[in-house]
Parts: sequence; C-alpha cells; structure tokens
Amino acid sequence: MHASSHGTLPTSSEPLTLHGLSVEGVNQCVHCGLCLAYCPTFSELGTEMDSPRGRIFLVKSLAEGRMTMSDSTVRHLSLCLDCRACETVCPAGVPYGRLIEAAKAEIERRRPGGPIRRIFRWLNFGLLLGHPRLLALAASGARLYQTSGLQALARRSGLIRRLPGTLPAWDALLPTVPAKAERAAPPRLTPAEGPRRARVALLTGCVQSVIFGAHNRATVRVLAKNGCDVVVPEGQGCCGALNAHGGDHARALAMARSTIDTFEAAGVEAVIVNTSGCGAHMKAYGHLLADDPAYAERAKRFAASVKDLAEFLAREPLRGPLSPVPLTCTYHDPCHVVHGQKIKSEPRQLLAQIPGLRLVELAESDWCCGSAGIYNLTQPEMATRLLHRKVGHVLATKAEAVVTANPGCILQIQTGLGAHDAKIDVLHLVEILDRAYGGPGDGGNGR
Amino acid sequence: MATLTASAKRDLRHELEAIVGPGAVLSDPDELLVYESDGLTLFRALADFVLFPTSVEHVAAIVKLANREKLPFVARGAGTGLSGGCLPAEGGIVISLMRMNRVLEVDYDNQIAVVEPGLVNLHLSWKVGPHGYYYAPDPSSQQACTIGGNIANNSGGPHTLKYGVTTNHVLGLEVVMPDGEIVWLGGKTRDANGYDLAGVFVGSEGTFGIATKIVVRILKKPQAVKTVLAVFDEIDRASEAVSAVIGRGLVPAAMEMIDHLTIQAVEDAFGCGYPRDADAALLIELDGLTVGMEPQAERIVAACREAGAREIRTAKNEAERLLLWKGRKSAFGAYGRISPAYMVMDGVIPRTKLPYVLHRVNEIVAAAGLRVGNVFHAGDGNLHPNLLYDPRKPGDEARVVAAGAEIMKVCAEVGGSISGEHGIGLEKSDFMPFIFSAADLAFMHRLKGAFNPTGLCNPGKIFPTKKSCGEAGAVAYRPHPIEEKGLAQRF
Amino acid sequence: MPDALLDKVRAAVGAPNVLTGVELSPYVVEGRTPEAAVFPGSVDEVAAVIGLAAEAARPVTPWGGGTAASVGMPAAPGGFVLGLRRLSRLLEHEPGDLTASAEAGMTVDAFQTALRGRGQWVSLDPADARLATLGGVLATNASGPRRHLYGTARDLLIGLTVVTADGAIVRGGGKVVKNVAGYDLPKLFVGSYGTLGVIVEATVKLRPLPDHERLLCIPFDRLKDAGAAVRALLAGDLIPNAIELLDAAAGAALGAEGPALVVGFDGLREQVDWQCAELTRLAASCGGREGRPLPDDTWPRLETAARAAFPAATAFMAFSVLPSQVADLMEQGAGAARARGLASAWAAHAGVGVVRAALASDVRPKEPAALAGVLTDWRDLARAGGGHGTLEWVPLAVKSQVPVWDDPGAAGRIMERIKAQLDPRNILNPGRFVAGI
Repeated sequence: MHASSHGTLPTSSEPLTLHGLSVEGVNQCVHCGLCLAYCPTFSELGTEMDSPRGRIFLVKSLAEGRMTMSDSTVRHLSLCLDCRACETVCPAGVPYGRLIEAAKAEIERRRPGGPIRRIFRWLNFGLLLGHPRLLALAASGARLYQTSGLQALARRSGLIRRLPGTLPAWDALLPTVPAKAERAAPPRLTPAEGPRRARVALLTGCVQSVIFGAHNRATVRVLAKNGCDVVVPEGQGCCGALNAHGGDHARALAMARSTIDTFEAAGVEAVIVNTSGCGAHMKAYGHLLADDPAYAERAKRFAASVKDLAEFLAREPLRGPLSPVPLTCTYHDPCHVVHGQKIKSEPRQLLAQIPGLRLVELAESDWCCGSAGIYNLTQPEMATRLLHRKVGHVLATKAEAVVTANPGCILQIQTGLGAHDAKIDVLHLVEILDRAYGGPGDGGNGR
Repeated sequence: MATLTASAKRDLRHELEAIVGPGAVLSDPDELLVYESDGLTLFRALADFVLFPTSVEHVAAIVKLANREKLPFVARGAGTGLSGGCLPAEGGIVISLMRMNRVLEVDYDNQIAVVEPGLVNLHLSWKVGPHGYYYAPDPSSQQACTIGGNIANNSGGPHTLKYGVTTNHVLGLEVVMPDGEIVWLGGKTRDANGYDLAGVFVGSEGTFGIATKIVVRILKKPQAVKTVLAVFDEIDRASEAVSAVIGRGLVPAAMEMIDHLTIQAVEDAFGCGYPRDADAALLIELDGLTVGMEPQAERIVAACREAGAREIRTAKNEAERLLLWKGRKSAFGAYGRISPAYMVMDGVIPRTKLPYVLHRVNEIVAAAGLRVGNVFHAGDGNLHPNLLYDPRKPGDEARVVAAGAEIMKVCAEVGGSISGEHGIGLEKSDFMPFIFSAADLAFMHRLKGAFNPTGLCNPGKIFPTKKSCGEAGAVAYRPHPIEEKGLAQRF
Repeated sequence: MPDALLDKVRAAVGAPNVLTGVELSPYVVEGRTPEAAVFPGSVDEVAAVIGLAAEAARPVTPWGGGTAASVGMPAAPGGFVLGLRRLSRLLEHEPGDLTASAEAGMTVDAFQTALRGRGQWVSLDPADARLATLGGVLATNASGPRRHLYGTARDLLIGLTVVTADGAIVRGGGKVVKNVAGYDLPKLFVGSYGTLGVIVEATVKLRPLPDHERLLCIPFDRLKDAGAAVRALLAGDLIPNAIELLDAAAGAALGAEGPALVVGFDGLREQVDWQCAELTRLAASCGGREGRPLPDDTWPRLETAARAAFPAATAFMAFSVLPSQVADLMEQGAGAARARGLASAWAAHAGVGVVRAALASDVRPKEPAALAGVLTDWRDLARAGGGHGTLEWVPLAVKSQVPVWDDPGAAGRIMERIKAQLDPRNILNPGRFVAGI
C-alpha cells in the first residue's frame, strides 16, 4: 500500500547545517504549499524555486549535498526578500527567516562574486554600517552631491544610466539628504512629561539617523508625552540587521555584542525601536548568540526588552490631549513588524485614537514593498515589480497619505509614488502621533 | 520512457523557447529538482523540462511537439496534490500553469465566471466577494491550490456536504486534448449537448488533456452563517453525533471532525480555541436564511447533546468563525509540530460506519506501533487518518505503508472508496482492485483510449502498473519508488 | 430475426418474457416495429441478452417506461427492445447515510414512495414520474422544476451498474457521496440515451423531506417585467427551489391570467412564509400583480407546461441558454412563430436557462416546411446566445429536415471516439443520438 507521506527522507542522521548554522528547520516543512500564494516573488514569477517551499527545498538539498551552489540556485535564493510572510501562514512553524539567512551566509562564503561586488559589500557592511561616523561622512558627501547640482547633471546627461551594475538603482533611491543640523541625534536624556511610567532607550539606527533624524526626535517627544524618560545612548552603532540579512554573519555577531553592551549600560526596562528590520533582528539576538557563552543569557534578556514603538505605546491608551490630524490615510505594514514580530493591530489601534484621522485599509497591506533592506539595490527588477503592485493598491485607496513604520519602506514607496506622479505623502507612524501632540511636523523625510 | 541525449535536449530546448519564450523553459537539473514532488515528498520523479505557457496556443504547441517527439507530458498547478498526480512519472515535460492565472470574465447576472487554470482557488472567492458571491468548493489547501488542480482531482472540501464537489460547479472547459487539438467541452449553459464531456473530464486527473479555461458557477453568499464547535469526551460519541444530526432531517453546510492529537498540534500552531482536553471536536456550520437559522441550530445542538457532547460553543462573529476554521484548514501542516513526518490517507466510507472504521483504524495503527491524528469531513464520511512516524527510525516507513494498505481495505470492505478527494494519482493506483473489478478497470481504460490513445498525457497514473489489468499497449512493469528503496513490497 | 437467436433469448430470460408479433404494439415508435421485446429479470439476464445481441450484431433499444421513446433521431430498424421493468426492486436505503440504491426499472414514483417512508426523497422531479423509470431518467437526464435548487441527475447519481455493449457488467462510482476513485462513469452515462451501456442499478444521494413547501404564482401584464423580477430574485437572498417563467398561453393552462412567474420555496414554515412575502414585494416593484399559492398538484405539470397549452401540440423543443437570455428568447421565439402564422406556448426554468416551447396543434396538414422553418429559427435564436436547442418531439417527416440534436461542434468527434471505444459494434441505440451516434 502506498500511502502519502509528508516530511522528508533524511539521508543521514547528522544535523543539517549551512555555513555552520543549523538548518534543521527544513525538516519541519511538510511540503503543504500553503506559503506559495503569500510569497511575493512566487506570485510574480510562478516558479517553484522562487517560493518559500522551493527555497526550503534548495536549502535542504544544499545542506544534504544533493545540490551544488550553481548560478541558478544562487539566483533563486538571492531573490528571496526575507519578508517572512511565509512564516505567518506556515502551519508547521518552519523558521524560514533563519534558514534563508544561513543560506545567504553560505552564498557569501562560496560565491562572493567579482571584485567590484566584494568591494561594495565591504564598503557597505564593513565600513559604513560598522562605523556611524563614516556613515555620517558619507551622508555629507551625498548631500554635497545633491546640493551642488552634480546629481542633477549626472541624471540629465544620462551618465547615471551608463554606470555598471546596480549603481543606477542606488542613485534613483538616494533620498534627499537633509542638512547637517537636521541630522543631529536627539538629546541623551529626555525626561517624561507628567507622571513617569517607564524608563526606555531609543535605538537611533543607521540609515534612520542619517536620513530620518526627524523621526527619531519625534519618537522621543511622543514617548516623553506618554510618561517615558527616554535615553539615547551615545556611541550606539548599527544593530547588524542588514549584515545578517545580507549574509555577513561574522560582522553581524560583532555588532550584536556591541549593541548589547551599549544598551545594557543604559539601564532601561525597554529598548524602543522605530524601524522594522532592527526590531525583528534584535528580538532574535538570543538565537543569534546562543552559542556564545559570554553573551547567550545577556542576549536573551536584551531581546526580551526590545519593543517596537507601536507595540510599546499600544499597551495603554495614548495620553491626551490629542489634537486632530484631519487626514485620510492608509497603512502599509513593514514586513519585519507584521511578519517578523507579529505586530499588526497595534499601529491601527494607535491611529484609531487620533481624532480626525480616517484610516482606509490597504489591500495586501502586509505584502513587501520591495525595499527589504537593501534588496531594492541588489535586485532592482523584482523590487520595482513589487513596488508597482504596492503603489497600485495605494492609489486604489484614494488616501492622502501612506503611513508606515520603516525608513526603507518610506523611501521605496516615495520613489514609487513619484514615478506615478502621485501627490501622496509617505509618513512614519510616529509623525502622525507627533502631529497630534502638536510637535513640529519636521520635514526631513527626503522629499 | 523517453531518454533524451544531451544534444536532443538542447535542440528541444531551443524549440520550446521559441514557443513559450526564453524565460519560460527550465531544463537545468538544479532547477528541475524542486519539481520532483507535489505535496507528497515520498514520491519523486524528474522531468526533462518544466515549461510556463501563458496562452492556450502555447499549451497546444507544446503538446503537439510532445506528440511528435513521443515525450510524455503532465500539467501542474501549485503542486499541493497529495497523490503524486502531477509527477512526471516517465520523465518528459511538466507544463506549469502558474502563469495562466487570470479571472477572464465574471457574469454576475448569470452567476458564472471564466478563469484560467493557474488561478488560486481562494483568489476567485476574493475576486467576487465584494459583489456578494463566492466559489463554493473549498479544499483545505484553497489558499494555495489552483482551479486547474481542482478540476483534475474533482476536489472537495468541508462545504461539499451541502454544496457538492468541483464537478457540480463546472459548466464547461476549454481543453487542449492529448493530441494538441483545442476543444470546448460543455460551455456556459447548464445542460450538455450530447455526452457530459465536461463532467467526464473533471476528476480525470490530467489524463484526458489540459484545461486552459474553465467556466465555473459562483454562488450568492448566504444571508447568515452559524458555526458551532461541539466538544466530546469520547470520539465515538462524536461519530454518533454526526449521524444523529442527519437523522434529524438536517443537512448542515459542513461537519468536520478533529481528534485529540490534532487539537494539540493545531493549538500549538495557532491557538484557535479548541479545548486541549477534548477527545474529539465537531465543527458544524449552518448557512442559509436568517429566518429559521435559530431553530435549525437548536436542532443541531440538541442532536449533539443527545449524543453526549459535553460543551457546545458558537462563534460570536466572523473573526471567531474564521479562527475556528483556520485550525481545521491548517491541521495537516500543523502535524509538522508534533511529528517529523506523517502520511495522510484519504478514504471514504458510509457515514454510519464511522465509529466502526475509526476503531479499526486505531487498532491497525496501534498494532503498527504508530500514532494517528484524525481530521476529516465527517459529514460525508471522507476520512483523513494521518499516520505519524519518524523517517529516521528504521522500519517506520514500511510499517506506515503497510498500515495504510490495511486501512484502505477496511474502507473498501464497508462499501466505501479509496479516495474521497485527493485522487488516485501515483500513490493509490495499486489499490484500485480493492474496489474495481478487472471489467470495471478495462472499461475505464477504453474510455481513456478515446481521449488519450497514445498514453502520453500523464502516464502512470490511476491504473495499476501491473499488466494484469489488461491494458492495451503494454507498459513495462516498473517498480514503485518505495519498492526501489526497499521499503515496501507488493502483496 | 433468426429463430435460433430468439430461442437463445427465450432460454436466457424465460419464454413468457419475450414478446413478438402483435404484443409489440406498445413498442412501436414512429412506425418502426422492433423484432422482439425482451424483459430480463436480473442483471445477469440483461448481460446474457446483450451478449447475444452483440454476437448477432443486432441493435438493442433499452426501454424503461417508454416516456422518451420517440426522442432522438430515428434509430436503426430491427433488433430488440430491452425492457427493464422487471428489474424494479429497492436494493438498499440507508437513511443515516442519505443514500439509496435501486434497480433501473423501478419507477420514480415507486422509488420516492419507498424513500418517503423514512422521511427522505431523491431530489428529482421529472415529468411522468408514475411511468418514468430511474434508469430512463438517468439515461435522458430528465428533470423538473426543482432542479433549480437541487440540480439534476448528474448531481445526484453517485454510483451505477451498467451492462456494456459486449455484455460485461461494469460498476462506476460507488455508494459514497464523495468519491474520486477512477473516472466519473456516472457522468458519462447520465444523458447518454443508452448509447454506451444499459443502466441496471443506480445509487443516488438523498435529502430529508422538507418540512413545508409552497408554490406561489404571480401574474404580470408583460413577460418582460416577469423577466426583470427573475433577475432581481436571482440577485437577492431568497432561496427558491423553483423559478418558472410562463407566457400567457402556458400560464393559462395552469390557471394563471397572462404571463406568470411561478416560484417554489421549501423549508421551515417560517422560512416559506417569509420568502413568499419577500417575493411578493419584489415582484410588485417590477409590476407583478397579486400572487396566490398554487395547489400541490401543479408541481408535476410545470415541466410540461408549454405543451399542455395545446390539446395536442405539433412539436416541442427544449433550449439551454443563459438565464439572462430566457425572457428574450421566449418573446422572440413567439414572434418568429407568429411571423409564420403559427401559435406557440413558452415556459422556462428561468433560473437555469432551460426553456421549452410548444407549437400549436392547429397547423394545417402538418406542413413540414413551415414547421421546419420555425424550429430552425428557434434554434438559431438559442445559438445566437451561445446556447443550443433539442427537438423533443416532432413529426417524423420534420426530423429529416431539422436535426433533432444541435451541432456539438468539435466535441462531437470526441463523442464519436468514446462511442467507438465503448460500443465498437454500434448496437446500442445506433444512430439515435447527437453527432449521429
């Protein structure tokens, strides 16, 4: 009798690993295929290798030695957004995010690519993300490039289009870098207004602090209005999310340790994050550093203290008074908040408390916009396809503004709306809250 | 079985690219590997090509080329099937319909829609939902499975108790026949002119051709829905309740049973609110007019209480209702949390034989030293015993296979069938003789000859592979993949 | 027919069960007399007789209640009538499973009576239920007004036993309501007019008898308004079990004044009451006049409402079109007949797009040309909307001018291949069916 079998045939009893990282999770996959229809790349392409189930199969085959790291395998794995929408629907609880990160680490080891690519990765992951001051310097350079008219010239003359690789995408996505004053970090300590209910720290982030410093300042104000002493530790660096998602595992570990060190010293009960990738990644520090005896316990404790801004504020009603914000808006769920942290209702609960605000639900609100960290730079074609899909849904809502909670998404959606000539604002959730509290509605969103 | 030389393969690749475009042909072994299985990973078969047509003309051209080269071919949807039905059992071409996934037309006045085969089942209901309509056949995999796949297997789902299966909702099909001719079977009107070819095509598991457009019926959403969870301390009582409900002259829209083991897995996965200490739960749904819903619900509650339900909960709103259903529909996948592997059976028995058969299933599974989780369409007697095992434990797989065979025999014994909705495919072809005589199989084989005389369209499915069934055009005996692994033997 | 063959047949079923000569008069169809009428008493006997016919290459005409005997193209002459009336037992009724099996020769009425005893029924309501047999209803896919909610034989048949053209006994489907093992043979045989095998046993899905049922008749001034009411009814929340649209002629035969919408509801009394009230409101907003319930005995008359408009209709035809085309077809069809000086009556199962039309009986000496003209016009009207039309009854002379069955297109070739595979000697109802099968 041949009955149907689920689960996979193991070829050995050794635990499966890639790049030294466990990928045992592949054996939880029962091949049911429920993830397919929720995967943005599968919906666009229809090919099994570009679905979570297919990618799990590739990871498993690589780990078992059944497949080699061929061009096509690298391509299909690299096309994964790591949006983790599949994890939300997977009934078997496959930890897909960890599997794909292990795979990307392995790709970097075995197929690092040509010299230009390696230089780029070192520049980004090693230099800029690893050193906040260098990032600030690069930002100043970018600002100069923009304000001097060089960018406009390069674009008009068509020089941009002739650049190699994905550089043209970089230019297209480069936001307007605000003036230096705008990029200043918030004060190191901001006391609570009214009765104090908590002492928290803020992660200022890398790209966030350079481009969207205004959002960090707004976050501090909103938290203070809601009874929090807000500490912004000096010398904090990048949390390592982009490195981990991009397969730069070793540096990611170092950045995690350093982040834990910095924030432990602050002595707070919660570390607030207003960007999605960082929040999700730091909540997984316990898993990331599980094999490091010096950090394992500390990482777990730290991870438990990480809170997404909406998650934190939604625990209690917002303190009044709240001024009306007369706006029709729609909400885009950043992947690593909705799928990575399972936070979906909290942002909506907060928006519902703002007088005068009307929220229209966005179709496929929890589908990736294509930003996905630096995905829009490494995979511009697919990123653009997903962006068009997202923009189509946004336009259908006829909202005046899109609200979201992640700098990458903001930049990406702005670019998309711009391409459609749509006069729709893209705002961070905290900007709305800030407006309701009468705080300055700073620019600094790159438009 | 076709064996292509490297140069023949190269030439064919060029020709195929000329038909469907260069981005729509896979022939690299690394990319073909993911297509070796459908939802069943035990069975694997490698294709020579996987193609992604986007029009009926593409499909016809591919089939004509396959005929010319005597290459077998098989259509594939989302690959969520559970009987190995879309495996290229003899190599050749896999035709993926995933890029033909549009809703072509919706006619609300006449309550029909015309769709492409790669459309995800649930997406059709989403599309017509805002107008107050839905597509009734709702397999548990409807978030992923395609209408084309539903056609091949005549898929059911929990609501088939009241609304019937796929074939009751299909009016017509545009089909690429196994020789490449494009023909309409049926159409948009209700009665066939001549033989009910659309009815014969549905459920033919891809052996009669490839459907490229499907005319389906859409239904008005019911005015009211009431979903009830009846909790039992003994699974026998739950089985009796099923018959008791029918005995009171009620036909609910759905009646699903979930057993203790399954409840644990589902609660671990999603926390849907099923009570963890229950021996079994019955999920019962009524739909129809608001008027009369209460008295009918009371009859059901009374029937369940009489049968010994210890508790009856009613979903208070749509969100609660969806959560209860989420548990049921994700049950298969959730087994992954409590067992490294499992095999799902798909037997059907007369409803009144439910208590007896469940007992026999338990006996058989216990004797094999395994565990079983039951989640199934109690209302129409369609069982899904899931045998949990560990593939790394020596002998477990063989024991599961043997236990499964015995369960199928029990189903046949009590007047049931060996497949309620998953299809025969590759997996159950050798069990056909449990329920069909040689004359029955020969007749079906002749019918197949009218559609697929060359046998190139999805070979190796449905019919037993031994020559004893009297097939015309002898197919050489090939050992089943499980046999090759030394995990099972033929009885 | 050679005596030797007749003797063998007598030996197989018993001499009293073989009719010849003058006893054959009930089995004369359109002037053609069979060579013998044979009445086997068991499935094995049916198989034996067909085996003999196959050997002798003699055509076989399966015969239930004979109610559809003259439907179809004239069959090849000669051969046997194979009567199933002695196979008339109820084989199994399992109320807890909502399934029942019976021999094909049992009449629909007898079957329903047996089921009613346990509070159940098979949701089929074809015309002539007293005479029509289960096998015949399946073979012709006969149905009635309640098909609107409950579907037809194709939706209710879950298993069957047939004797094939070479005398083998074959089973398809099973006894369970969900079954996808093997090909869907029940679908193949429903509506196949006995051309692929002789149905000898059938298993069907049952339903509990409804608590209450009512038939409401709402007259309108204009058919087109009644059509609008149908559209509104279909788009709403009501769950009728029948929706009948009748023109003035057909309506009059049922006692309505003018074109009428006749709708059936079943269920709990409160559900029936509520829906009748809702329907009345809805119809009034489309111009419907006061509605009244019709007596129960109206139900069996609905299927034949069109032809009942005339004492002996000259011809009647059935069309399958889209529901949205029904009212237009009825009006344009009546107009086409009038244009040729002929009166017609029209009735439709409006929710499923099945329309029937009858031509009045006062057509002077059955002018084939005029008749043929009207019938062809009607068929063209149906085809224009993507539908088709079947001649259910016409004088024999007209059959040579207007095909009984509509053109099946390319699908006809597949049907021919199926026939060639399953009845290679072409002995079962040869020439009677679509595509000349």
